[in-house]
Amino acid sequence: MKEKIKIALAQISCKRQDKAENLTKIEKTVIKAKKQAADLIIFPELSLTGYVVRDQIYELAETIPGPSTKVIENIAKKTKAHIIFGMPELSKKTQATIYNTAVLVGPEGFIGKYRKMYLPTHSVFEEKRYFRPGYQAAVFDTELGKIGLIICYDIFFPEISRLTRLKGAQLIVCISASPSIRRTFFETLTVARAMENTAFLAYVNLVGIEDGLQFWGGSRLVGPNGKILVQAKYDDEDLVMCDVDYADIRPVETFVPTLKDLRPELFDELKNQAENL
Amino acid sequence: MELTPPVLNLDWQEVETKIKRFIKDYVEKSGTKGLVLGLSGGIDSCTVAALSALAIGGDKVLGLILPEKETYNRKDTEHAELVAEKFGFKTKTVDITSTLKAFYTSISIFDPTDNVCKGNIKARTRMIYIYYYANRLNMLVCGSSDKSETMMGYFTKWGDVAADISPIMDLYKTQVRKLAQHIGTPKAIVAKPSSPALWKGQLAESELGIKYEQLDLILYGLEHFMKTEEIAKQLNVEKELVNRVKHRWLSAEHKRRMLLTSKLEYRTIGADFRLPRSYY
Repeated sequence: MKEKIKIALAQISCKRQDKAENLTKIEKTVIKAKKQAADLIIFPELSLTGYVVRDQIYELAETIPGPSTKVIENIAKKTKAHIIFGMPELSKKTQATIYNTAVLVGPEGFIGKYRKMYLPTHSVFEEKRYFRPGYQAAVFDTELGKIGLIICYDIFFPEISRLTRLKGAQLIVCISASPSIRRTFFETLTVARAMENTAFLAYVNLVGIEDGLQFWGGSRLVGPNGKILVQAKYDDEDLVMCDVDYADIRPVETFVPTLKDLRPELFDELKNQAENL
Repeated sequence: MELTPPVLNLDWQEVETKIKRFIKDYVEKSGTKGLVLGLSGGIDSCTVAALSALAIGGDKVLGLILPEKETYNRKDTEHAELVAEKFGFKTKTVDITSTLKAFYTSISIFDPTDNVCKGNIKARTRMIYIYYYANRLNMLVCGSSDKSETMMGYFTKWGDVAADISPIMDLYKTQVRKLAQHIGTPKAIVAKPSSPALWKGQLAESELGIKYEQLDLILYGLEHFMKTEEIAKQLNVEKELVNRVKHRWLSAEHKRRMLLTSKLEYRTIGADFRLPRSYY
């Protein structure tokens, strides 16, 4: 396993409902990032299809593995890159049960996937109407380290990031499609989740305008001490690179030992209270 | 929440940037040649026309000045031309008096004393002119309704609110005034009392029975799920006034929504046919 890796935050806009065009953009971006020696290239939530596709989601969703993941796997093999992207995943067992999924592939092919657990269904969001929530936190042991995946609104709930960290994640990747009214939340929570878990956190947000929603970009890589190591532009497409050295976790974990000081007995009480809210 | 004027403050530079980006993105994705607006010379239409010109260039923006004899006000026309000159967009003036007269004389039940019905003919006639120019020139119609009048239902259904996009519909009137100042809309336009100009002497605040400064705070409170009692208490106004605003807001929902139909089939227009707004 590599101790030092280079991560590319691929902040793109998507052409809604046009998987072929988005796959082409993903391929071009991966090639561009590889030229800058990136090991891992991360794309936003639902980057295969765009975010606001509403009922068209039933036409766009695919199984994993499926035609689009095959294309991404080939890109990863050809370029020897690791890639994370988002897509609507059709359950293999049913005909219209869909998940909002993050997919991780590497040079050897498919590595794993994570199904978004917290589906916003308030304000302009209508995800529970279309998606079934996931039930499992996801951490993958890769040659680029232990990578945990979360998606957008998941970051509002500290327990999911904490769970990936407790499962060993050194790098928490949060792919997102956040409209600009939520910028302050994400700018605060990305730092908080990295600090409280003493882990690296890569946040990659969408840009562009879909049905009046302006996605603000601002993708960033946050160090385990909460330092913002790199930040992409607001509102426009961008590709930014950042070196990550996992050895940097140790001094922070020693100095702010949040994992050592965990109190598991509180979790039972938390569960009791949450069930009786 | 403290219901005081500062709650309506926004970062006006950011608002300007977002609205310009919204306009530019929509026009580009639509593949059309620009925007047509009804330009009354009032603050809303002047501000939206200026923002449109800043977003896509004045050569792609056409302001239609559509005066008629009964409500003609030289100042309004001058203001429309002033803002066009300042922000560099095109204008075209069409006097709609004869068209209106043709309507009045051909409607057998026409009542000249019914200001509302007659005024709605004016708003809808302007809509026809604006859409004709847009169709003919392969442009889109840009609306200039604000949040205060849209929430209050203070507009003509299928008239002044009819448009392809409405860039300032999420801003209350007092916020539009601030944005207008920020982008440099001439002061005379910003300071002028608002009027739909559907009949002589019509003024928005007199007709609504409340000043925009107060109305906007009431609407802001309702938007944020505040109870009417709390709004009245904080603003030191009669609860009846807040209830009247709330009632007017709720009862005008039919003017803001897609046509209602009876649910009969699998997916229904306006109900559960939920599609992305643009397909390209």
